[in-house]
Amino acid sequence: MSSTSQKHKDFVAEPMGEKPVMALAGIGEVLGKRLEDKGFDKAYVVLGQFLVLKKDEELFRDWLKDTCGANVKQQGDCYGCLKEWCDAFL
Amino acid sequence: MPFAEDPAHLSKSRLKSDLVAHNVALPSAASKKAVYVELHLKHIDQKNAADFSSDEEDRADDKKDAEMPVPSCLTDEDLKAMLRKHGVKPGPITASTRVLYERKLHKLLQSDRRERLNEADKAVLYSDSEEEKKQQEKDQDSGSEKQPDPSDQTQKESSQNHVFYPQCFLPSSRLRPCPPRNTESSSNWNSRNALKSSERSQSQCSQIISTSTADHHTGLGSTVLPRSKSTDDSSLSSQYFSITQMVEEMENSSSRSVTDNACEFNGTSVQENWAQSDRPPQEPVKDAFKDILPGSKTTPTGIYVTRRRPIKGAAQRPVQYSYPDSPVSPMTQQRREVERYLVPIHIQILVFIIVACVLYLIYVNVEGSLSYWSYGEDRLLVQAESQDAEADYAQD
Repeated sequence: MSSTSQKHKDFVAEPMGEKPVMALAGIGEVLGKRLEDKGFDKAYVVLGQFLVLKKDEELFRDWLKDTCGANVKQQGDCYGCLKEWCDAFL
Repeated sequence: MPFAEDPAHLSKSRLKSDLVAHNVALPSAASKKAVYVELHLKHIDQKNAADFSSDEEDRADDKKDAEMPVPSCLTDEDLKAMLRKHGVKPGPITASTRVLYERKLHKLLQSDRRERLNEADKAVLYSDSEEEKKQQEKDQDSGSEKQPDPSDQTQKESSQNHVFYPQCFLPSSRLRPCPPRNTESSSNWNSRNALKSSERSQSQCSQIISTSTADHHTGLGSTVLPRSKSTDDSSLSSQYFSITQMVEEMENSSSRSVTDNACEFNGTSVQENWAQSDRPPQEPVKDAFKDILPGSKTTPTGIYVTRRRPIKGAAQRPVQYSYPDSPVSPMTQQRREVERYLVPIHIQILVFIIVACVLYLIYVNVEGSLSYWSYGEDRLLVQAESQDAEADYAQD
């Protein structure tokens, strides 16, 4: 299993509250900007989409790719980050 | 239309697809079936009344559409239903999720189509091989040569079949009852039947092997028996089973000529080698690299590359002018370390000799002096006595 990044660890360590979407692992400035333009300006909105897709990995990855053009690694990082957050706090 | 294809009898999705096929604008998604039926009657029935000849084509197309509905034409509920049919439990189908679920359904439908095609292909294959089998059976009955033919046929069968099916080789006349049973059993091309048939044939062949080995009374036979039994247990042991049989065949032919124990032992080693060597060819090339480079990631091109060994004397490493001593075993290293603290043996021996010499000299001197002493002691004693006596005289 690959190791998690510092961003992932920071995100998963506490409730996300009002954190911006760029706080998600795998989402940097460029992708964050694209998501914000689509209306996903906070991390909890992306969480909402993740939950609506019933935490399904394939669907979430597809959605992420369609929405902001994330590559496979970024999709995986974001999915893993959100999944772990849900396991811890939801 | 010849058939009473009332639009009212068709399903909502079918109506929808019909409308789409005829380029009719669809009503809103939540509208009732009646609306669809009306539209269907309006547009499509008119068209059908007009051109009768194209009816069959349309129906064929409609039927196709009914079988494979386009995901984007389905309502949310229909999409959900279709997904559930394929074992997927979809979440809420909203504006953002709809596209994703449509794509998923599309993939599932495509995979279904592929499966159906594969099944059709397999059915075709089986039918072909059935015909060939029948021909072979006829040849078998008519043919006079029994030994080579059955073996060839079974070999052909085995080559044609998947590796799954048993490969029963026939070494001697004793095993003649095997082939007809084998062909009959393997003519059933159902996978389940094949399983049963393989088990049956394996049990038959194991019996035959047991009789043959018992007859030969070789030490090898006893070792083969447990192996054949163990292989019978596993369902995928047909390969190994056949190899043991094959080698036994060789064994039987060779044992008649040579009856040395050494030969038998060689046979066991050969048998093991054969059994083992057959495995790598069975597992194709893809495993070879994985064995060599277990840690490497798979590449899309299939090319595996290892880093080249760096050249000695490269810039990053300083050049060594003096190289360490020749490699020493750990035992000698330990001994050397210990010996640093202890006194060397030569010096110990020297010291020992010196001490011995010293002691000897002392002994010799003492002995000499002792004899002198003993002699002297008597004198002294005598002198002492005389002195005493003189002393006594003096005192008196």
